[in-house]
Amino acid sequence: MRRKIFALTGAAVLVMTSACGGGDETEEGGLTEVTVGAIPIVDVAPLHLGVEQGYFEEHGIDLTIENTTGGAAAVPGVVSGNFEFAFGNVTSLIIGRQENLPLKVVSNGVTSSGEDGNDFGGIVVPEGSDITSPEQLEGATIAVNNLENIGDTTVRNSVEQAGGDSGDIEFIELAFPDMPAALENGEVDAAWVVEPFLTSSMENGATEIASNFVDASPSLTIATYFTSEQMIAEDPELVEAFRTAMHESLNYANANPDEVRRIVTTYTEIDQNLIDKIRLPNFPAEVDQQSVQTIADLMVEYDTIDEAPNLDELYYE
Amino acid sequence: MTENVRTSAVPAASGSPDPAPRPAAAPPRRGLRLGNTALGVIGIVGFLALWEIVPRVGLVSGRYLPPASEVLAALAERMTMPTFWTALVDTLAGWGLGLAIAFGAAVVLGFTIGSVPALRRFTASTVEFLRPIPSVALIPLAVLLYATDIRSTLLLVVYAAFWQIYIQVLYGVADVDPVAEQTARSFGLGRLSRVRHIIWPSALPYLLTGLRLGAAVALILAITAQLIIGSPGLGKEIAVAQTSGAVDSVYALVIATGALGVTLNVGVRMLERRLLHWHTSVRGESSA
Repeated sequence: MRRKIFALTGAAVLVMTSACGGGDETEEGGLTEVTVGAIPIVDVAPLHLGVEQGYFEEHGIDLTIENTTGGAAAVPGVVSGNFEFAFGNVTSLIIGRQENLPLKVVSNGVTSSGEDGNDFGGIVVPEGSDITSPEQLEGATIAVNNLENIGDTTVRNSVEQAGGDSGDIEFIELAFPDMPAALENGEVDAAWVVEPFLTSSMENGATEIASNFVDASPSLTIATYFTSEQMIAEDPELVEAFRTAMHESLNYANANPDEVRRIVTTYTEIDQNLIDKIRLPNFPAEVDQQSVQTIADLMVEYDTIDEAPNLDELYYE
Repeated sequence: MTENVRTSAVPAASGSPDPAPRPAAAPPRRGLRLGNTALGVIGIVGFLALWEIVPRVGLVSGRYLPPASEVLAALAERMTMPTFWTALVDTLAGWGLGLAIAFGAAVVLGFTIGSVPALRRFTASTVEFLRPIPSVALIPLAVLLYATDIRSTLLLVVYAAFWQIYIQVLYGVADVDPVAEQTARSFGLGRLSRVRHIIWPSALPYLLTGLRLGAAVALILAITAQLIIGSPGLGKEIAVAQTSGAVDSVYALVIATGALGVTLNVGVRMLERRLLHWHTSVRGESSA
């Protein structure tokens, strides 16, 4: 019975694709099942839009999005082959690459808006704080979601750029959702937050003092979709198909911010009022490789890694 | 009513030869029980009232601790959504399946290893080494093997629940009355018959204690796995609500997991009471 249904669906897809004159690389008329690990946050809206718009199906991919909680499952999920692809931030990939994990960036994921004071992540201080600019963060306690990652790296850069010394900043690890409370209680002097917590903490009185992504690069690539070298060796057509569909999804998201705000309600529980107000990131199709190099150099400068890996190896071309 | 009879029947059957104190002991016990129920209700109402007042008067910001009424409303709203029930079923599946696997493995291994002293001594140090390893320490392994699959949940649940039950089974097997054991031997009972008639009944209370402890630990680990790894279930729903800053939903789901825990515990206790009631009555009869 089930086999019959599969056969029928397969036949239907065959008819449809041939009717459209597509004739693309679908395997025996069926769609290839692909799982992508992604955190349920605003940044992965293009992925969800792409599924809804049928971009992945057009390229022969039956995409399942696994909502991973936190980034813990992304890299091991891809390395072990449980996920064909995953969404992950560039610092994690640089560290992974430096540890010789066979990871390759397939497509851009999310990029800073590049507008100072209007980016989707920033450094905020609580209401009534004396701190008004990043150089005053010398010796401060700052909350970041992960130590030795993109948060502390770019925050330190902002402090240094403003003429401060980042050496005696104390970074503490807190989950983004806990940061507004920690700010209000005075547990931290400042926090690096991203949307939707940037907007919500500012509504509750916090002040933004720097756009740390923008300080690092005019168009900083924050996160990308990546896969493993094995995957590329085994099924290069699938990787190519995913990349093409992903590019279409990113272009669609970039051109339709209202669609981004709409789709976010389907896979997160962010309050509708808040979604209407949050600042959106950019979703260009291409990774800004220069900005990734900048991050790698900063990580070396701040001793997060000993030496920058050869980043050419990081990209699938 | 019947519960009262049962619970008071246990000490009578298992030892006390004097039936006189029984009726005298029953009424105060009953009064206490009613009092407990009333106190329990008062406790819950009091707690909810406190929870309602604390954010309302501003002791804690309502942004981080919404009042009880708002949270309960969020929970009620959630319960009308199919995703809530799917998550609940996923959590129950992870819990039940994991507990069943742990129970099966612990009973088989416990009885086998426990009844062969040499084997028991041979494995003791390994068990003592493996047992204190917290299940959450296996999260990286679970992620690497199964990513966000339900098997990730199972790995953690089985590991945690197994030791709880296994150790109890070992104690139970060791607790067999040597006189009964030797009597059975002298009556020519074979190994299997001895397990069936001597070892199994005396190990049963231990086994059920193990099951009860294992059931609680299994639920904790099922939710933890979902929360941290993102395998399907209520824990994952909590994580999604958290990353979305939906504070109401987080508390609503936490209450739901708490209620689930209470329900499962009551269920296991009822099972325990039933089985043990049967067990003590059989022993009472055979010794009479």
